[in-house]
Amino acid sequence: MNILVTLRIQGALLLFLAAALLLPVPFSLYYADGAAVSFVTSASVALVTGILLFKGCRGSMELSVREGFAVVTFGWLFYAIFGALPFVLSGAIPSFLDAVFETMSGFTTTGSTILTTIEGLPESILMWRALTHWLGGMGIIVLSLAILPMLGVGGMQLFKAEVPGPTADRLKPRIQDTAKLLWGVYVLLTMVEVLLLMFGGMNFFDALCHAFATLATGGFSTRNASVAAYDSAYIDWVITLFMFLAGINFSLHYHALRGKLGGYFRNEEFLSYLAITLGGTALLVYLNHGTVYASLADNLRFSAFQATSILTTTGFATADYELWPVMAQYLLVFLMFIGGCAGSTGGGMKVARVLLLFKHVQVQLFKLIHPKAVRLVKLGDTPVDRDVMQSILGFFALYMGVFVVASFLMAATGMDLVSSGGAVIATLSNIGPGLGTVGPVDNFAHVPTFGKVVLTGCMLLGRLELFTVLVLLFPSFWKK
Amino acid sequence: MKILIVGVGQVGYFLCERLSLEGHEVTLIDSSQEHLNRASDRLNVLGIIGNGASAEVLEQAGIKDADIFIAVTDLDEVNILACLLAREYQVPTRVARVKNIEYTSQSAVLSKEKLGIDLLINPDDAVAEEIVKIACRSGSFDVAEFVEGQIQFLGYRISEESPLCNLTLKELGEIRGIYRFVVTAICRSGQTIIPRGDDSIKAGDSIFIIAHKKDLPSIQYLLQQKDAKPKRAPRVFILGGGNIGLHIARELEQMGFTVRLIDKDEKRCEFLCGKLKRTLVINTDGTDIRTLLDEGVDGADVFIAVTDNDETNILCSLLAKQHGARRSLTLVNKPELLNLAPSLGIDACISPRQAAAGTILKYVRRGGVISLAAIEGSNAEVMEILVKADCGIIDTPLRKLHFPDGAIIGAVVRGETYEIPTGDSQLQAGDRVVVFALPGALAKTERFFE
Repeated sequence: MNILVTLRIQGALLLFLAAALLLPVPFSLYYADGAAVSFVTSASVALVTGILLFKGCRGSMELSVREGFAVVTFGWLFYAIFGALPFVLSGAIPSFLDAVFETMSGFTTTGSTILTTIEGLPESILMWRALTHWLGGMGIIVLSLAILPMLGVGGMQLFKAEVPGPTADRLKPRIQDTAKLLWGVYVLLTMVEVLLLMFGGMNFFDALCHAFATLATGGFSTRNASVAAYDSAYIDWVITLFMFLAGINFSLHYHALRGKLGGYFRNEEFLSYLAITLGGTALLVYLNHGTVYASLADNLRFSAFQATSILTTTGFATADYELWPVMAQYLLVFLMFIGGCAGSTGGGMKVARVLLLFKHVQVQLFKLIHPKAVRLVKLGDTPVDRDVMQSILGFFALYMGVFVVASFLMAATGMDLVSSGGAVIATLSNIGPGLGTVGPVDNFAHVPTFGKVVLTGCMLLGRLELFTVLVLLFPSFWKK
Repeated sequence: MKILIVGVGQVGYFLCERLSLEGHEVTLIDSSQEHLNRASDRLNVLGIIGNGASAEVLEQAGIKDADIFIAVTDLDEVNILACLLAREYQVPTRVARVKNIEYTSQSAVLSKEKLGIDLLINPDDAVAEEIVKIACRSGSFDVAEFVEGQIQFLGYRISEESPLCNLTLKELGEIRGIYRFVVTAICRSGQTIIPRGDDSIKAGDSIFIIAHKKDLPSIQYLLQQKDAKPKRAPRVFILGGGNIGLHIARELEQMGFTVRLIDKDEKRCEFLCGKLKRTLVINTDGTDIRTLLDEGVDGADVFIAVTDNDETNILCSLLAKQHGARRSLTLVNKPELLNLAPSLGIDACISPRQAAAGTILKYVRRGGVISLAAIEGSNAEVMEILVKADCGIIDTPLRKLHFPDGAIIGAVVRGETYEIPTGDSQLQAGDRVVVFALPGALAKTERFFE
């Protein structure tokens, strides 16, 4: 472990954070909400720490696999801690731990909040919440890769450690160019959504915050009642569409923007994702028919929104699904585990992993009937590497393990069974709202302190897909 | 004609044999003295030792006056380079054997035009295509297509239960009224003859017919034993997952066959599995009959053996047949073993060099030969010939012309129509004629249409 280089890169990352912290200042001045000073102060703290680390830690710039894991994990921790400063300084969230929870929830695009009322907060604080989503969605490391030439060497290590999914696509030979392209697509989609939302009657500020939260599959809203506050079918459908787009592998969007629309339909993961979205919606419509919603149009609107929001792990809410039939809720829990596509901004286990897991089981059963047959697990027409398949099996076991242990710890804090399980999956899959006392119309304010620490950990584990974080716990990781 | 052949492997040797027998002046180039000796001892050809891709060696072999240049070494690069050299020496016809699909595919960056090659031939592909054709045409063991597939040349084995057994050709002619086809040859214990009216068909014979595609269903009905036709997709077993096996499996699975591909190398099996969609790849030995029976070899419609070992192919084909596979197609490289097939009970033996050589020979011949196929185990050939306006045989009844002995016209295609020729038929310019010729009559037949 080369600790010096890890810290040096942390310094560079903090310089970015300092720049990002200044972005809400114009909003603060425009709305005269009085929070500008806290942002400038936070930015200064980040800047000074960043410069100290960057200048103070000199050494070889060699990045190995180990440093890649450490840089990414610590980068996210540093961001959550320094990003929490404005909340505390402005007085919006007095408790530092709560502020870290909220910031981690933002950067990991979870969208779980400890705030009970949102509407009274300064606009710049709301903007900062949305910004944490947006920066975390495509990945802060990926963003840094796009801009920082010094990370060029060994950048793939960082890229792989942060990008969701079993494998990372490389669109261009240079990793920096790949990162730039992905961010370009991301920015473009965000701008389109802002325009469409404004067309539906939202003001620019709300449209921007919601677009940030949608594209990042985050879920922070500027309203207490989330998207339901606008009560507009148009806005619901626009957000449903963009949540769906944000759950797709961004490499596919890139190819589509270059005119290769067929790429979507040759991608098996996308097809499965589409089938799960449509199938889930159809099943919800069927289960809610007649009992919850009288008209089919309403039923379709709310079922599609909730299904997409949960599957893509965005976590916006337009309906309290805890009032839906138990089977519908069960279906949503199932979707919570699946999550978006690999290479998207969504969380969860990823469609590709679930798909490959099912195929693996199928092959195992097939081999019982044909013992000498050779069969490979394929995604599309390409056989999946045995190492990748094994890491997926490991990931699945680990995901379930983390879920069980964390739920157990939550139950130890005195939460009921449904709520503790719901809170863990909501944070582990980066969704936001869970079940029980942390459902779509509730918040996480009442969770005991220890529980908040556990859930903050779950968010980080889920966003960095377990391995990147857990590998740091091995003693041998730190030895030469 | 002066012909230069580089590389005296299976294909090269076969080509030398055929071309020198036809009276061409053949010069061979090969880097192995042993191979050269084998050819020049037995064949009437000149052998030159050296690298076929070297200008010096080519000049020594007299490339400056060569009419045809054929590069058939085992190395793609040598063949291509040799052809590029031949282009510089302005050899009119250049043929290269190329195994790599990159050069043979339609979308190749370096197309054969750019490489200056008139014919790119891949023996593996040629033989795979041939096996696929035979596997699809149930009942026949040899298939060749002419006039864009309109006219088919088919070989059938006659068993004791066949309705044709013990019929003379005259008697057959009477039934034939409804079935339009020509029996062009009968093959009996290694001898190929063109039958006349009083020759009869015996059990154990192989007969070769020429017929139009649209008449095939009724002909097959006549020629086939009365098997209850199963409704399920035909089940095919392929032994040997080399390039040929892969090619066959890919084509057959696309046609909706149920394909099982067997190879004994595990790594290769995984590779095959990645390349194929619906084929079931099994990692076992061809003689592991227990596993094959578990996978249903007893109900197989076709068993195809295409490993690179002739003995394995023949033995496993016999084993599969013994356990109930309906037909077996076998790849045989060694010419000595090729004639063994009918007596052993294998339905068809396919040789890569014949498949490749057939394609090459068609290019090399002068005259209006458009397409050509060589027959298994004999040197007879079927040719498709374009009748030219100035050849002096048009508008005259066939009986008045001196059509060579040992050759027979199987079909005449004129635009959209076709006819089975009789003595009164007259040829016209632009007709495409499918002719069957025994080896001795080949040259005469070609001259006839000049």
